[in-house]
Formats: sequence, structure tokens, C-alpha cells
Amino acid sequence: MSVTPRSASGRESRPVVELRGIRKSFGTVEVLHGVDLTVHAGEHVVIFGPSGSGKSTVLRTINLLEEPSEGSVRVLGVEYGPGLPGDRAEKRGGPVQLRRHVGMVFQQFNLFPHLTALHNIALPLRAAKGLRRREAEERAGLALRQVGLLRWAGHYPAELSGGQQQRVAIARALSLDPEVMLFDEPTSALDPELVGEVLAVMRELAESGMTMVIVTHELNFAREIGDFNVFMDQGLIVESGRRGFFDSCSNVRTCQFIEAVL
Amino acid sequence: MSLLAAYDWSLIWENKGDLFRGLLIAIEVAVVALVLSVAVGLLLALARMSRPPFSWLAAIYVNVFRGVPALVSVIWVYFGWSLILGINFTVFQAGVIALVLLYGAFISEIYRAALEAIQRGQREAGLALGMHPIRVFVQIVLPQATKIAIPNIGSMFIGMIKDTSTFTVIGLLEVVRVTQNLNSVTFQPFVLYTAAAAMYVMAAFVFDFLFRSIEKSLTTPPRGGIAKTATGRRRRRIDLVVKNVEALSGRT
Repeated sequence: MSVTPRSASGRESRPVVELRGIRKSFGTVEVLHGVDLTVHAGEHVVIFGPSGSGKSTVLRTINLLEEPSEGSVRVLGVEYGPGLPGDRAEKRGGPVQLRRHVGMVFQQFNLFPHLTALHNIALPLRAAKGLRRREAEERAGLALRQVGLLRWAGHYPAELSGGQQQRVAIARALSLDPEVMLFDEPTSALDPELVGEVLAVMRELAESGMTMVIVTHELNFAREIGDFNVFMDQGLIVESGRRGFFDSCSNVRTCQFIEAVL
Repeated sequence: MSLLAAYDWSLIWENKGDLFRGLLIAIEVAVVALVLSVAVGLLLALARMSRPPFSWLAAIYVNVFRGVPALVSVIWVYFGWSLILGINFTVFQAGVIALVLLYGAFISEIYRAALEAIQRGQREAGLALGMHPIRVFVQIVLPQATKIAIPNIGSMFIGMIKDTSTFTVIGLLEVVRVTQNLNSVTFQPFVLYTAAAAMYVMAAFVFDFLFRSIEKSLTTPPRGGIAKTATGRRRRRIDLVVKNVEALSGRT
């Protein structure tokens, strides 16, 4: 296993995710009106904005939980989306193949309630990676230890706190060795006192050089961790910027939002 | 002679063997039919939740066969299919098929409701983890839906046992047929049918208990006796994994 080297600026390293001209309609309502986003290896991208701005939809497009109506989704150089208008039809990868490079953490944790913490992690290792039971369980144990929950291996999700559940969910996604991790408002469903433990795990992950795309309302955390920050409103990227963005916004809407939340 | 003395209650004890054999046949038919009905019901539920041509066909099937009584169903299968299609079933087979036709429809509705109760995030999480959609269904969605469906399937099963009583018309030697045969010799309908009723009630109690135990063992964390044996092994396994991982971290 090779650890992706993290470049100082994230600017020169290879792109892991490239979204080009993403449009998405639900029925007759278009919720994304053409979004471009590039995520480089080792980079931490923060997407924020008011609810309904399309930030979660952008995130879910990256692993094709939402199939874009139009536009190009490229992960590790392979095209998975419908492509840009005028593009010639390339060989496209399948969604199952795509998702084996992309880990995701959900707002509602989405642990499997009928399985123990250990087997929540071991099942995908067997099903997606084809590991044998013994090996899968051991890797699951290692993943749990990484988030400090090895002692809870035999517990069911209903027996864990929200913060613990989310840490198991992070361990579950990490155990599959993804190239990039997506976080969809990972702390929004948590009691305030439990937010810290989840952010601590994410901070550690960021420091280890993992490529991350985070949709969040925790702007203090975003300010601390975000290499590239994207403000979305009404289905469009309004403004984006690198470190220091939160103190140097230029768009009125962006500044208003940051001021209201921070 | 008092009225009650006219009833020969000893008949029940004398014929307990025949009555129990009748109940056993009824249960055999119902168990085979249950297994097939769950399979048929699940397929119908999936068809109904899928694209239009399939969803319509499934909806039509369900609405038609939920309305057919077991008595009509078994006559139709046993005599009808024989006359029209030339297919001759044994009484056991005809009984099973008649029940599956009806209860497949009922169970499909139970499964549809149960599958729809599983949050979308469960499927999404499975997919996001790179699992194939079929594995996501079989290993994540279906077990959770089955847990929801079990209590209703249990009451369906008790209904199936009772519906076997109509199969007396095709000559299946189930409880009512046995009772009728005994009655034709002894002319004690009150005694014998009371016994028959008791047989069904007894079966209902036993299976109700059984399904409750299964239900209990499917809760997470599992409760009840059945679960204890199964999960004891799993727990020891997990403890072992934990110990191994701890040892591993001790070395590094």
C-alpha cells in the first residue's frame, strides 16, 4: 500500500476527482446548473452554503449516488458520467468500479442495524474486496482500533452513541482503502457534545494526507482544514478560494453567509 | 340419562392418533406452502416495485388471488387443471399449490410494505461501499425487511393451517376429513368437531410461540433462547478478533 504524497499547495499534484459541467434535474426542476470542481490528491476540499444549494448533490454525484443529467465525472482519469455535450462517447467505467475508489460518510451514519460494529465493516470487505471472513474480520478490527472503538466491536449500532456510530461509519469507509473520502454533513445529526470526537477523527485523517471532500456547516473546522473552499448557492458555485478564503471573501452573498454562520 | 352423558368424550382419546396424523398432514402442507409462498411473495413484491409492465402484472395477480377463497382455489387446481390442462396432482400437491397461489399474494404485500420501510440510506451506504446492487439487496435490505415481515408472516401461517381444513373436499386426510370419517361411524359431531377445533387452536399456540421466538432472536441485540446459542458463538468469535488485533498492536 502506498500513501499518496501530499503536495504543499495541492496545486501541482494529480487530480483525483474532476467534475465538468455537471447539471442535474429532478423531474423538471434543475438543481445543479453546471458545476466544475477539481480535487487533487491530498487536498481537503470544503463545500458549504445554505440548504438547498446543491452541495450534497454535488458530493453524491462524485460517487454516482446521483447520476448527473449532463456533464463529466472523472475519477482517477476514468470517465463515469454521461460526458459533456459534443464529447465523443468514451469507454465509461461502471458505478460499482468507481465506488471502490471513493469512500463516503453520511449525515445519518447509515450503519447496518442488523450487524455488529465489527461486521458492519467486515461485510463490505468481503462483498466488495472479496476478502475471506477471517481476514475481513481482522481488518475490520484494525479499522475499529484506528477510530478508538475496538472495545465496541461486538456492539450493535443501536447500542452506540451517535458519535461512536459515525466513527464506525468512517472506519467502515476507510477500511476499503479509498483514494478519496466524501463527507456529507458528517456532524449535522450529532448532539453538540459529540461533534468533537468525530471532528477529531477527521482531523487525524486529514493530517495523514487523505484526499477529502467535505460538505459541512462547521465553518470553524472548515477554516482550519480546508485547502480549497467552495461556496454554493442555488445550484451554482458562487465563489471559491484557497486557505484564508473565509477571511477574504469578495462576493456579497458569500460574505453574508460566512458572517451569519461563523 | 342427562344431556351431557349423551356425548361420548372418550372418543377423542380413542382416536387421538388419527386426529394427530390429520394435524400433521395439515402442518406439512402448510409448511411446504409457506416456504414457497415466501419465495413467490418476495418475487411478486419486487415485480410490483419495479418497472410498469412487471408492476402491473404483479398488482393484477395480487388483487385477483387475494380475493379467491381457499376452497375455490383447491377445487380449481385439483379438478380444473386436470380437466383443462390434463395435469393431475396428488391431493397433497394440489393443496400446496392452492395455498401458494393465495398466500403468495398476501405475503407479497407484507414484503412490499417491509421493503419500503427500509430507509434509502441503507441501500445507498451499501452501494457507496462498492457492493454490487444484488449483494446490497440480499445482505443489507432483505434481512432488515424480513425482520419486519416475520410477525405478519407468522399470522399468515396460522391462517394457512386453518385453510387446509377446506382441502377435505379433495380428500386430503387432514383434521376435518379425519373428523368427518370418525363422525360417519360414531355420529358424535359435537364431540368430534370440538376436538378438531382444539387441534387447530393448539397448533396456533405452538406456532405463535415459535414465530415469537424467531422474532425475538432477530432483534438487535438479539434476545431469547434461540438467539443465545447462535450469538454466543459469534460473540466468542468477535472477542477473539479483538484479542488478535490487540496483540497485533502490542507488537508494533
